[in-house]
Amino acid sequence: MMTMEGVVLKLPSFTQLMNPNHFTNRTSLNLRFTFPKSSSSSTASLSVPAAAPVSLGHSTRHDFEILHQKVNNGSKLVYLDNAATSQKPSAVIDAVNNYYRSYNSNVHRGIHFLSARATDEYEMARRKVAAFINASESSEIVFTRNATEAINLVAYSWGMSNLQPKDEIVLTIAEHHSAIVPWQLLSEKTDAVLKFVSLTEDEVPDTKMLQELVSEKTKLVVVHHVSNMLASVLPINEIVQWAHDVGAKVLVDACQSVPHMVVDVQNLGVDFLVASSHKMCGPTGVGFLYGKSELLAAMPPFLGGGEMISDVFLDHSTYADPPSRFEAGTPAIGEAIGLGAAIDYLSEIGMQKIHDYEVDLANYLYESLRTVPGVRIYGPTPSATVHRAALCSFNVEGLHPTDIATFLDQQHGVAIRSGHHCAQPLHRYLGINASARASLYFYNTKEDVDDFVRGLIDTIDFFSSFK
Amino acid sequence: MSLSLSFCHISTNFRPPSPSIYKTLPLPPSYFPILRFPLISKSFTVQSTPIRPSPTDPSLPTSSDPQTFEQLPRKFQEIVKLFQSVQDPKAKYEQLLFYGKNLKSLDPQFKSDKNKVKGCVSQVWLRAYFDDSDKKTVVFEADSDALITKGLAALLVQGLSGSTVEEILRISPDFIVLLGLQQSLSPSRNNGFLNMFELMQKKALMLYVEAEKGIKSGTGIVENPTKDVDFDPKLEKGIDSSESRSNTDDSEPNGSILGNRGHRITEILKRELQPFELKVEDVSYEHAGHAGVRGSNGETHFNLKVVSKEFEGKSLVKRHRLIYSLLDNELQSGLHALSIEAKTPSEVGI
Repeated sequence: MMTMEGVVLKLPSFTQLMNPNHFTNRTSLNLRFTFPKSSSSSTASLSVPAAAPVSLGHSTRHDFEILHQKVNNGSKLVYLDNAATSQKPSAVIDAVNNYYRSYNSNVHRGIHFLSARATDEYEMARRKVAAFINASESSEIVFTRNATEAINLVAYSWGMSNLQPKDEIVLTIAEHHSAIVPWQLLSEKTDAVLKFVSLTEDEVPDTKMLQELVSEKTKLVVVHHVSNMLASVLPINEIVQWAHDVGAKVLVDACQSVPHMVVDVQNLGVDFLVASSHKMCGPTGVGFLYGKSELLAAMPPFLGGGEMISDVFLDHSTYADPPSRFEAGTPAIGEAIGLGAAIDYLSEIGMQKIHDYEVDLANYLYESLRTVPGVRIYGPTPSATVHRAALCSFNVEGLHPTDIATFLDQQHGVAIRSGHHCAQPLHRYLGINASARASLYFYNTKEDVDDFVRGLIDTIDFFSSFK
Repeated sequence: MSLSLSFCHISTNFRPPSPSIYKTLPLPPSYFPILRFPLISKSFTVQSTPIRPSPTDPSLPTSSDPQTFEQLPRKFQEIVKLFQSVQDPKAKYEQLLFYGKNLKSLDPQFKSDKNKVKGCVSQVWLRAYFDDSDKKTVVFEADSDALITKGLAALLVQGLSGSTVEEILRISPDFIVLLGLQQSLSPSRNNGFLNMFELMQKKALMLYVEAEKGIKSGTGIVENPTKDVDFDPKLEKGIDSSESRSNTDDSEPNGSILGNRGHRITEILKRELQPFELKVEDVSYEHAGHAGVRGSNGETHFNLKVVSKEFEGKSLVKRHRLIYSLLDNELQSGLHALSIEAKTPSEVGI
């Protein structure tokens, strides 16, 4: 059983110690660019000039090769779809690369050199995740395929053995489909009842209503931390308080918060928390569930198979302790290590610094977008007390969001999303079929926002004059 | 400016289409700046260029070989020519939207789930029925709440309406690549265009199957045996041949014979634009027979070439808009589509 030794911010990865020559590996990429590159280091070295304050977006951009390309009509790419997935810095790509080139081997089973190294790196990644969200032990981190799978894990493993008919689960209508559907499936099996919190006039979930809905019948509260469409932030501390007062558990969907701000599970007091690697500069194919030790210890397995067992007989088996109990089969080893590298990268910048930059950028995005005539932004208005995430879902009067997104992409190289953003109930509540969404990350700049708004104005112009 | 489309390439990785010698690597356009020469004067030279598929492109439809330009039905060839004559991508979109604007809207009763195209982020509805007069050719109607998808639906309706079930099933959607709209052909549940096309084929097939079931005669052979479709039979319906050409031969267009509308267009453009050069060409016969034209007096499609000082300082889109606005009355009264080449005198070397 591994124990934590304080908060780990940046650990020297084995790549640096063992293979100092593996930094400049670019042969895996298909696209060849001949842009002037200042540094080819694979570690998260930010070449911030000592004197002038450069914005975080500018100083980190060169770590993300994918951003430096032209699309469609030769427009430079302006990537504003980060709520869907984030880009990966070279450090992360190199880490995954290096894993496969140097020490790929199955974990936990082997005795030989490569396997030992792979296991160490994989478990090191687990410790990094634990430290990143301030879990008390790394065994409270279960690696899954993504946040969706993590929620399903809780639904099947915890839900099936803890919910009785008529027990209630409280959610908001703004939840992502992944935080709604597993509970619908569960309620079919257990006859539990789903209760939904709607929005206030400010277009944020009605916390008063939530507080009222939470009763002795409530066994679980499922809420997002940051909404992927409204950009609002929920007061998790208070919600946890209300839930624990009635003996209910709280599961927080932190997919849009962990990548963008400091998330401290001790501080929040949540029972379960889920996030995906690919939204936080890590590879796809891996995510994690945080669960309090005592909860995980009492939960039956989710998927059965190798790795999660202790002893296997023909008529029965015994199961491993958490987290292994919930990690059946060979995991996404390289990807988990990539997630660890992503955490290193983010930690070196500092989550508070990222958050502060994004609050500023969020305001800039909101204010710029607001000036465009006919634009209707969803979610709360930012103020001193109300902080929005750096994303805006919006509609333009008389225009379909798909037309906007298509034209922005084809003519201006601006990548935004159009659709329901996996939040159909929310769209239905707001009375719309679809919306467009621009979402930023710390490597976006104010210039990106300017390009977007300029392109949007041109787009609106084009379609309006056509009519 | 984007490339002249004299070479076409069915690769959905590479945008805009590149000469096929670069087919092995998906490369960004900026990598080969030497290819970027504006060939504005070559706008009408696109003829029958065979499409070379890339062997490395996994997104190509593998079930059938992509059709060459010549193999396309005439209606699609016309659409392709129209789009290829417009270089500027923005103007292409305008052209597409224009198609959509002229699409007859669908009666709300037909906007049902059964008629909805799956996979579009916007809503698209399709309807198919057999033509009343011959019970063999299929008529399509479509609508959408988004303009671009409406334009795409309109293209398909224009291209497929009036064809037999067999013809519809034989057509490949590859032609869309030739339009230069960067429309992907990757089969995915979210490819709205492909889904539209496939739904149209499916509905045509279902019409056929329903008709089969309804037939009680003993011959057992229902399928139209003719392979080559002549537009002649359809031409009889609804086109007043007194003012338009009834010749379905699509060899050299004869621009010197103009009907009333053609004359009106010429007068308006002469008066308003004082052109150095003006060419008004009636190409309606090439569209003769399809549902959108039926009932009009011909004179539905024109190629225009205008060289005028009025275009100075105006973007391509603004030039086109100017012409559209001058011809608005015609557009409201049966003029279906314009293919426009609008130049300033200096641009053509005067």
